[in-house]
Amino acid sequence: MSSESGNAVAFVNRFRTYVDRGNPIRNMDPIVVFIVLAAIAIAPIAFPGFVAAAIVCLIYPVIALFAGVAREFLPTYLKLFLVVGLVLFVLRAAFIDGEDPLFRLGNIAPTWAGVEEGARFALLVMAISGAVTLFFNLATVRYLMLALELRGVTPRATYVILASFQSIIDLGRHARTVLEAQQSRGIETQGNIIVRARAFFPILAPVFLAAINQTEERAVSLDARAFNSNVPHTHLVMLRPTRPRELVVAVLVVATVLAAFIGSAVGWF
Amino acid sequence: MVNESAVVKFLKGYGRLTIFMMPIGIAINFIGGQIALLLKLPVYLDSIGTILVGATCGMGPGALVGAISNVLNAITSPPTLAFGVLNIMFGLLAGYLARRGVFKSWSKTLLSAIPFALIGGVLGAIITIWVFGGLAVGGGALVVGALVALGLDVNTANFVAQVPMDILDKVPTVMIVFAIIKGIPNRTFAKLPLGYIYLGKNKAGASSKPSGTSVS
Amino acid sequence: MVLAALRGVSFTYAYTNEPALRDINLTLEEGLLYAVIGPNASGKSTLCALLRGIVPLFHEGELTGTAEIRGRNLLEWDPAELSREIGYVFENPFTQISGIKETVFEEIALGLENLGMPPEEVIDRVEQVVEQLELGALVAKNPNELSGGQRQKVAFASIIAMDADVIVIDEPTSQLDPESSDAVFAIIANLKKSGKSIVLVEHKMDLVAQYADRVIALNGGRLVIEGPTSEVFTSPLLNASDIARPAVTELAEALVHVGRPLSRTPVTRAEAAELIRARMKGGSRADRSR
Repeated sequence: MSSESGNAVAFVNRFRTYVDRGNPIRNMDPIVVFIVLAAIAIAPIAFPGFVAAAIVCLIYPVIALFAGVAREFLPTYLKLFLVVGLVLFVLRAAFIDGEDPLFRLGNIAPTWAGVEEGARFALLVMAISGAVTLFFNLATVRYLMLALELRGVTPRATYVILASFQSIIDLGRHARTVLEAQQSRGIETQGNIIVRARAFFPILAPVFLAAINQTEERAVSLDARAFNSNVPHTHLVMLRPTRPRELVVAVLVVATVLAAFIGSAVGWF
Repeated sequence: MVNESAVVKFLKGYGRLTIFMMPIGIAINFIGGQIALLLKLPVYLDSIGTILVGATCGMGPGALVGAISNVLNAITSPPTLAFGVLNIMFGLLAGYLARRGVFKSWSKTLLSAIPFALIGGVLGAIITIWVFGGLAVGGGALVVGALVALGLDVNTANFVAQVPMDILDKVPTVMIVFAIIKGIPNRTFAKLPLGYIYLGKNKAGASSKPSGTSVS
Repeated sequence: MVLAALRGVSFTYAYTNEPALRDINLTLEEGLLYAVIGPNASGKSTLCALLRGIVPLFHEGELTGTAEIRGRNLLEWDPAELSREIGYVFENPFTQISGIKETVFEEIALGLENLGMPPEEVIDRVEQVVEQLELGALVAKNPNELSGGQRQKVAFASIIAMDADVIVIDEPTSQLDPESSDAVFAIIANLKKSGKSIVLVEHKMDLVAQYADRVIALNGGRLVIEGPTSEVFTSPLLNASDIARPAVTELAEALVHVGRPLSRTPVTRAEAAELIRARMKGGSRADRSR
């Protein structure tokens, strides 16, 4: 019992200090992280060819490694590369017409121009996809919403986002319960497509309606928790303020990318 | 009288439930898609919530539900971001059609599958062609590939493949939206921005203050 | 001070035909624990909702008569102010968890954050409530993964933390076992002792008999009787309205019917035990002669 109350004290003490997610990169303000990653992701568009995009795609694993999320990030990113990147590359490389084909395979005659174009496009898509994936590995939606609220975004907006995650869990659970109940009552959910399609309605309509019928109670309950009060809300959880060196890095990255785009516009590359 | 605080605005008038409908709309998009996968149906059924919220709360909330659902999808599959505008359009169109009373009758609702499918099919094809050069990966990619092999050019193949697929997707989608709207109780409609449509009132009458509160 | 004065209040929800409340005349005093009893759909929840202005502001409908809350007409209150003065615990524990907080501790803190309380104070206040309700084992848990009973306690704690003068509680023990129900009522009794006014809906009549100062009995939207707990439970009006009474009161009634009444009709177990003990000591003949 005493260890339990000791744990409770340790738990409560977490709120007396800044959130510590155990890594300096993950402790950064999610909005700063977002800006930096967004800048990096679009940078290769300013450069011709695929080298810049390839470099950017290699930067993400390095950041992931330093942030301690390589284990989560790398498999996802590799899968994206195989499922999306490779397909985009092969299709473009194979079908874009040009002279001097590298080799012929029936109708398909890939050219170096096609390969270049395919690599550039696939890597650009991967540069943006990688940023999105890495961002959600580095930041939690919860702290992102908190950071937005601290910058003046209304709690109603963040409520919608945060509540939708819980709604997905709750509705999913309910739908699966109903699905299992239907199956045990002998309603077919296997078999031919019409049978399966017909099972869709009785499973989902009641689940969705039940959720909608709860909205009134949710509304008054949240109102009872002063959700609609006019005073500015305070926050139990404290995000660490952005450190000067983080700010310097962010500004440098954004300035560099901006310079690249200006350079591209005036024809440096 | 009382000053118009946020609470007053929240408590009075239509739209009180909008921010509570939106998370459910987003969840419905996801769960619809998941159950369609679970039942191995060849359709997405992932825009039920967008159209439902558009039809009951209006264009803005519908578009937001579509946009947020798209961003949440992008967490696991970033390339879907390119198709975000589709979901936004579904929400806008649902709000627009709702104002014209489309979702009050099942036959009009069924017909609404056509404009939804046209947006989904044509705009979807355009994005596929424009962003991914017609060679996007996904459910329709195989069909497109087959059509190209049959001699169609890539662009035509995309349109030909996507519009019928979207009809197949949007017919059950709008019908389940209709079924849900039929099941929403009047007292809930009274708190939704477009609820007046389903209560058979005109907007002016609907947005007035609580009827008959004659407390002296 | 008068908590609420209702004069000739009737309320009919929009889109329904039957009034939920009919011609209610009632005065509630501050600092007392009122229990609202009655069969299902007798208007208990509507009466509670009226005290908070949820009726007729959120759930629209036709309200007639005069409703004064703390000396001011209900419709003249700024709802934000009213919601600060009157806390409200709803019946359904599942819709009361906000769904946007990761831990029970943060869930309880939500109302205080929304009131703009500085974080240090929030922590102290939540810790206090957690101790009071013995929720220590739950603080780090995800509130969305709790059982119905646990959620009910967390919802209760969340409202208590906000420290409103008046607390309306709609069936606080519907999801709880007898032991937890007793514990919750002990907490409610403590709240009253610390000066809060409490209005609660409750079906467990033994608990009502033990803790409530006064009872409001409703049936079909009408006020059957309002008065001190023992008076209400022994009133013949309850019988006529088919409203349940504490088990010991029913027992005493049964004893009257078999011709062996107790010296008076008990409403709490303690009273009953005392009366029965008195009879066992040999007073049965004397009892009967009375």
